[in-house]
Amino acid sequence: MGEKKYTEEHEWVQLSGEIATVGITNHAQESLGDIVFVDLPTLGKEVKAKEELCVIESVKAASDIYSPLDGEVTEINDNLSNDASIVNQDAENEGWIFKIKVSNPDQYNTLMSLDQYLEFLDK
Amino acid sequence: MTEEALKNIYLKDFHKKNDAKFAPFAGYDMPINYKKGIINEHLHVRNHTGIFDVSHMGQILIPFNEENILALEAYIPLNIKKIISNKCHYSFILNSNGGIVDDIMISKIKFDNNEFVYIVYNSSRKQILNKIFNATISNFKIFEDRCLIAIQGPESFSSINSILNLPASMNFLNIQILQYDDNDLFISRSGYTGEDGFEISISNNKAEKLISDILNNNNVILCGLGCRDSLRVEAGLSLYGNEINEDINPIQAGLSWALDKNRLQDHNLNGSQILSKELSSIPSVNKIGLSPINKIMLRNQMTIHNNNKEEIGFITSGCYSPILKKSIGIGYINKLSNISEKKYVNVRDQYEEIKLEKIPFVKKNYKKGD
Repeated sequence: MGEKKYTEEHEWVQLSGEIATVGITNHAQESLGDIVFVDLPTLGKEVKAKEELCVIESVKAASDIYSPLDGEVTEINDNLSNDASIVNQDAENEGWIFKIKVSNPDQYNTLMSLDQYLEFLDK
Repeated sequence: MTEEALKNIYLKDFHKKNDAKFAPFAGYDMPINYKKGIINEHLHVRNHTGIFDVSHMGQILIPFNEENILALEAYIPLNIKKIISNKCHYSFILNSNGGIVDDIMISKIKFDNNEFVYIVYNSSRKQILNKIFNATISNFKIFEDRCLIAIQGPESFSSINSILNLPASMNFLNIQILQYDDNDLFISRSGYTGEDGFEISISNNKAEKLISDILNNNNVILCGLGCRDSLRVEAGLSLYGNEINEDINPIQAGLSWALDKNRLQDHNLNGSQILSKELSSIPSVNKIGLSPINKIMLRNQMTIHNNNKEEIGFITSGCYSPILKKSIGIGYINKLSNISEKKYVNVRDQYEEIKLEKIPFVKKNYKKGD
């Protein structure tokens, strides 16, 4: 597995071969507060980077989750349908949301490293 | 509103020290939740007890005399002359159409050997109410120097009784003046969560000490406005700006129980003729409780639709209910809509089926007299 990359929309991405696993960052789950539902994307859906793909509902508000990369949704984290609070408990591991088969791997290198993301948060 | 324009409550630093997350509410930078989060705080109030700082709310003390009563009775649908001492009433400030300028808690209390009307009102309506008070009544005192602290939950009596030695007769909606640390407290058995509880008006400089004393009880935690909102929705209570506003009257809002019906015959009351007529006719809108069939969230201002996807109403308050473990909402539908027909809400342009629910969603737990 490659190192985790981050987006300005507070998602993390981890690439393994041509499959990218995507979730929201720990910072994102903290600012959203208690997450109650995750409206998971449809399997097989083709997306472009920065397109809205699904929605996370916290007690406070609904937040769009964007696809960080071009690709096709190959897997979704069904555990979240039963217990969305997994995202609060473990946003960057067990709380992953979907996986996509990437069609444009070069995009991965344009995302932020952890250091860059932390710097971005400080701004 | 810019951040600079936000007002601070007196104990802001105290809440900061206790890891509160803040957000703007009605012009104030208010604690929304603490470390445990909204759902945990909500459940803690239902199962134990929580403390809320609601010092953003308006408080006014008005001398109980003929001129002031006459002036207040033009706006408030209560027989204020006859209200008994030491009891709070839920009521309204009405405009000339009978629309709700604000919803208030009003009581008559004796303080320093004089009788007063004490009113607690919404922070979002301070400006407009203070203008009305300034124009119509005299010698009043708006409490800028007092905090308002709510203690809510089934353990609220035991958590404050050891500190304040509450009178045994103090039941739901009773209000008393008690001494604490050489200071007069206005304490009422009330709140806005559907639980047993108290609201305490206390001098700014004693408030932190009182809160700390209460927090010494095991199982009492600080709670923010986030869970106060989901608690009041579960309890089916109206919030100004959501269920009620100047364009809706108490009857349309399903709050006619709070009107003194005799006052509707009194021309001195704003909108009395309109309200009197409204009371004897079919209401133009129905207030409903609702919940979604699927796992979605109901949010304020979502539209409600019939089978033909025609708009028949809207949601005034939507939230997640930690007790029912699903989303719930309050809304209005127009009177012509068929109650038994399937209904939907528009969630991001998808029509999601909803079902009607009884209000309140959760049984109220007030301490009424025997």
